[in-house]
Amino acid sequence: MSILAASSTTATFVAPHVEFGKLSPMLIAFGTATLGILVEAFAPRKQRYGIQVGLALVGIAASFAAVLALAGTTASVVAQGSVAVDGTTLFLQGTILVISFVAFLVIAERKTDQNQDAFAAQGASVPGSAAERETTRRGWQTTEVYPLLMFSVGGMLLFPAANDLLTMFVALEALSLPLYLVCGLARHRRLLSQEAALKYFLLGAFSSAFFLYGAAMLYGYAGSVNLAVIAQHVAHPTAGSTLLYTGVALLGMGLLFKVGAAPFHMWTPDVYQGAPTPVTGFMAAATKIAAFGALVRVLDVGLGVNSAENVWRPVMQAVAIITMIVGGVLALTQRDIKRMLAYSAILNAGYLLIGVTSTTAQARAAVLFYLPVYGVAIIGAFAVVTLVRDAGGEATDLSRWAGLGRRAPIPAALLAVFLLAFAGIPFTSIFIGKFAIFQAALAAGSPDLVIVAVLASALAAFFYLRVVVVMFFSDPLPQGPTIAHPSIAVKTALAVAAFATVALGVAPSLLLHLANNSAGILAK
Amino acid sequence: MSHGYLSPTGLEIAFVLIGLVTLGSGLLVVTVKNLVHAALWLLVCMGSIAVEYLLLTAELLAWIQVLIYAGAIIVLFLFGLMLTRAPIGPTEELNVRHRWPALIVGLGAAGTLVTVIVQAYQHTWFDPRGAVPLGSGEALGTQLFKYWVLPFEVLSVLLLAALVGAIVLSRRGRDTEEAEA
Repeated sequence: MSILAASSTTATFVAPHVEFGKLSPMLIAFGTATLGILVEAFAPRKQRYGIQVGLALVGIAASFAAVLALAGTTASVVAQGSVAVDGTTLFLQGTILVISFVAFLVIAERKTDQNQDAFAAQGASVPGSAAERETTRRGWQTTEVYPLLMFSVGGMLLFPAANDLLTMFVALEALSLPLYLVCGLARHRRLLSQEAALKYFLLGAFSSAFFLYGAAMLYGYAGSVNLAVIAQHVAHPTAGSTLLYTGVALLGMGLLFKVGAAPFHMWTPDVYQGAPTPVTGFMAAATKIAAFGALVRVLDVGLGVNSAENVWRPVMQAVAIITMIVGGVLALTQRDIKRMLAYSAILNAGYLLIGVTSTTAQARAAVLFYLPVYGVAIIGAFAVVTLVRDAGGEATDLSRWAGLGRRAPIPAALLAVFLLAFAGIPFTSIFIGKFAIFQAALAAGSPDLVIVAVLASALAAFFYLRVVVVMFFSDPLPQGPTIAHPSIAVKTALAVAAFATVALGVAPSLLLHLANNSAGILAK
Repeated sequence: MSHGYLSPTGLEIAFVLIGLVTLGSGLLVVTVKNLVHAALWLLVCMGSIAVEYLLLTAELLAWIQVLIYAGAIIVLFLFGLMLTRAPIGPTEELNVRHRWPALIVGLGAAGTLVTVIVQAYQHTWFDPRGAVPLGSGEALGTQLFKYWVLPFEVLSVLLLAALVGAIVLSRRGRDTEEAEA
């Protein structure tokens, strides 16, 4: 019997060669998260907050140091073809880590809300119950969010680096699952937060299923989930292309959901509104970077052959146009600042999709430049939102923001800087980013997209400027919201974000140069 | 040795017969009026799929199928029925109004799957009793720990995150219960 024969042979297993050095950024992130869980188990309750925040920040810094150490090494595919460590990967990983560091400074804030962080004292207690009041009074904290978010950071580092669809799927789940959980842990407006978490989880699971189904189709087409092998089969087809196209369509749905592109954007406003605001900032920035990195890799490495490009490009261009229109028009109608920023995130996903569909190295460099500058600005914007408070948490309704500029000039001015940047005013970083993307799209021969994008920008300028006008040119409310005085950590985060937004607008050449150098290197 | 579909070996006949058992028990799962019987028919269905795996010499997969699907999941179903006091006798409420749309969706999904597999493997011939035991524990383990070691390890990290997350969402301290009382 062959079954018996197979089991009786004593073949020695040769351990695979794993390039730990090249994988170190993600390994450090996952390791930090695991250490954080040990801290939860053994450290006394009073000291956990300090240890967790310190550990997370040190972990992110160490991971960033690992990225810096890897910069300049030759692009290579490591871990048996699972992970591509190249210029684009390292640029995106570095960006995600910087953004995460800034975001963690805001997430760890306790001074703005009576020495409590933004997370529920106990996730399981019924909103408004005696148990909830009691745990809050005792000052309990859900310090598990820090290791959970570090798991998410690890997944984000792996997502844009994944070189096969299976690794990409695992990374997608590793980055999403902690975010679903943390979304449901907002301290105030518990019901809204729980609703957001449930919606995000259900729709996220749905989109993951689409991704997986698409990956299975592509496996059927190419006989492998490796992007390079898929690319070979696309270039030299051996079978009909039905499977390829259905697979790409389903895979695309999964990725576009994470990116937040219309018509897969439905979750964005609800989740951004319900999640704890510092986490919203983190999601809006870091998830977008990771997801666009993965999208670029799938499209450029796996499907970058001309025959495939001609099929997916018109579809993606249509998605970009719909995304910009939906984001721009619906943002106009919003009365809640978090929802407005959510629709603005959708709009910005549209601009980025223009860059992705152009597929030239120039366009890729433009996308790489746009991601960090947008990420830093959106974290800054959400950090300002955490400062404007009412009795029941943050005052997110725009009408409450009237005259804020007179009562609290510094936060209002900072928010104005970020909003003007989103509106694409010259001498801000996002203006340069948009300019680079539009230029690349024109060079790639799609002026129609640029026209829609410019029109959407004009529309967007209206609602960004409306907030600025409300803050600075209307009379303060008699019982207006209070402005919290943040700790030095949030002040640092805001200063870094504002400085980056202005400095990269005035002198963008350093980052542009880095993006240009990184974009060309794509390990295949 | 020539390969053809028209001169079936004993193995192929057995495969088809077991396949018919799978199909029949699958149909019974969705048509019987008794929840417990449906669960037991699901057991037959899962078990016969395990036999199909075994016929393809995918022995590890077959055992995993028995352990997880036939074992754990059916037991979970039965325990669920027992603990929730669901109706155990025949129930007419099991008649779903969405029967026809569900049938269409089911047939569509099955059709897609069959198309995918036919498209992907129409020119490939696996000899189940060939020199390379494709489905043996050894081959699977080598694949898993050689080529898929990184995703495998990240999956374990993901499970850890899910575990911690589940505790975070559901934990209630003892002090709190006293406060509630």
